[in-house]
Amino acid sequence: MAPPPQSDEIVLACRDVELAFGGLRALKGLGFDIARGEIFGLVGPNGSGKTSMVNVVTGFYRAQSGTVHLFGEDVTRLKPHRIAGRGVARTFQNLALFRGMTVLDNILLGRHVHMRAGALPSLFYWVWALRHEVAHRRAVEELIDFMQLQDIRDEPVEVIPLGLQKRVELARALAADPRLLILDEPMAGMNQEEKEYIARFILDAREERNTTVLLIEHHMDVVTSICDRVMVLSYGESIAQGRPAEAIADPRVVKAYLGERAAARHKGVAA
Amino acid sequence: MLYRRAGIRHTSYPKERQLWPLPFDRYLVTAVALFLLAAPFLVDRLYLVAYLLPWIIWSMAALGLNLLMGGAGQIHLAYGAVMAIGAYTSVHLVRAGVPFEFALVAAGLMSAAIGMIFGVAALRVKALYLAMSTLAMQYIVDFVISHSPAISGGTQATIQVPPVSFLGIALEGDLPMYYFALAVCVVVTLFMLNVQRTAFGRALAAVREKDYAAEVIGVDTFKYKLLAFWTSSFIGGVVGAVLVVSYLRSVSPDQFHIELSVQIVAMVIVGGLGSVLGSFFGAALILFTPIVLNNLVGALASGLGIAMSADLRAHIPLMLYGAMIVGFLVLEPLGLAKIYDNVRNYFLVWPFRHARR
Ligand SMILES: Nc1ncnc2c1ncn2[C@@H]1O[C@H](COP(=O)(O)OP(=O)(O)OP(=O)(O)O)[C@@H](O)[C@H]1O
Ligand SMILES: [Mg+2]
Repeated sequence: MAPPPQSDEIVLACRDVELAFGGLRALKGLGFDIARGEIFGLVGPNGSGKTSMVNVVTGFYRAQSGTVHLFGEDVTRLKPHRIAGRGVARTFQNLALFRGMTVLDNILLGRHVHMRAGALPSLFYWVWALRHEVAHRRAVEELIDFMQLQDIRDEPVEVIPLGLQKRVELARALAADPRLLILDEPMAGMNQEEKEYIARFILDAREERNTTVLLIEHHMDVVTSICDRVMVLSYGESIAQGRPAEAIADPRVVKAYLGERAAARHKGVAA
Repeated sequence: MLYRRAGIRHTSYPKERQLWPLPFDRYLVTAVALFLLAAPFLVDRLYLVAYLLPWIIWSMAALGLNLLMGGAGQIHLAYGAVMAIGAYTSVHLVRAGVPFEFALVAAGLMSAAIGMIFGVAALRVKALYLAMSTLAMQYIVDFVISHSPAISGGTQATIQVPPVSFLGIALEGDLPMYYFALAVCVVVTLFMLNVQRTAFGRALAAVREKDYAAEVIGVDTFKYKLLAFWTSSFIGGVVGAVLVVSYLRSVSPDQFHIELSVQIVAMVIVGGLGSVLGSFFGAALILFTPIVLNNLVGALASGLGIAMSADLRAHIPLMLYGAMIVGFLVLEPLGLAKIYDNVRNYFLVWPFRHARR
């Protein structure tokens, strides 16, 4: 077992992560490192364990064995809110916005880790909370501009189209000024134009906010064009790691995606 | 129209964040505030003491419970017991010579502390089980109070509240007591309004809506549920103290039984979960409808000369009352506050049909 790297240039280091649901082994000894500033892609067929891996990293699932190090510190057994407190933000595959609240309030909630959110500021609002709230509101408005959500900021989130909801969730994650941003299929169900928008936001987030990104994505065109490195999962195992184009061309990956016979045919065509 | 939003442009965040961004709402609030301030000189003493004062106090209780039920989404069936703890704490402290200002805060702290002990246990379970464990709190507190002579002065005992003063003003006679209750109510109301527009309220709402999503943005869900329990219980304790000092004037265990808890839960639900305005509406409806219906049925019976047995005479108002609550909730499950909101939204954009929020 490779020791977790000490350098804080490594944002996330997972070692031998094992996760089982009853008899089903969802993750079979996974390990990988993500370097600072990287956009790291996590790909693989349906049910290969991508979301489970992310859930282990963010504290929602508890791995049976293995370790997760974040910025050089062991976070394997920490609760989700503690991990969020260390600068990790994420979005969910099937959206986890707060219904009944406006887009603005949802994004403001993203700043929770930076806010004084006790009961006393509410009691002494005018001396204690007003300036603070307004300052955070400014930060959020900048983000709303960045993500082009101006028109819908006062709408309740459940009434806006799905594509925009995904964008709001991305904005909520970015509002935390995360050091590591984890996106679980942020482009699912989007058309080409919307996909390019999101890809742009991800790249900008890295340029302007120095965010490291862990991206789960099915669209291979996106993965190859914005990820620096990828890891390909199949049945909870890592079958390839490296530069996107190379990893995806790996015969094992082709096989995992297309099945044995189709892969053979694919080879025949390619040859 | 009165409520028109058109032409109102806010140019700074503090302006936009003010409590009532629309002028009409501000006028309305000012008018209500002026009325409440002048009430002792406008309305009959009887009405002041028998209607306005209990309305103010019960509204405060509904507000406090609403923080927990509407804000954090946790049901609590022992709010009467929470108030009892505050009431007894303050009365005993005052009798021991502690200034009432301190006794009032101590009442809140004691309720919060005991409420927390039950809260820690109760919050480990969900929904129905939480209801059951708070119900247990109600019965345990009832039992402990009435069976500890040191607290209740013996079963069936009533303890008189000695004369107290608050910030140098003697709370004697109807006027000071009314103003005292009103002042506390203003503080509680402002607090609740501020909760809704600050990080605390948003965090509670996040916990209520989706606990895993709350966790992922860094909200410690357990801590916030407890904090809601604590704050709500603190308010309950303070309201209990205000209740005995400025309204009941004496304290006995039977004033705080499950009936009171259920009454306040009903106020919160009928008024509107999470709504400050709704708490006032709900308190008014639950407190006064029985009286109004009673008089109405009585007047009808005698006016139309319908012979009615005393039994029927007593039960018809109750049935109407129940039917009315069910009716309101069927009509608008989000409570009276929502009904008001619908009307308001209608006028906001009148003569058009669709309100933008
Ligand atoms: N909470 C759970 N309980 C039981 N089994 C689970 C649970 N979560 C995931 N699994 C199983 O673990 C395996 C990996 O699932 P996971 O959701 O991680 O896949 P994925 O790679 O994210 O797939 P997709 O592309 O469909 O999102 C699947 O077989 C899934 O059924
Ligand atoms: Mg998934």
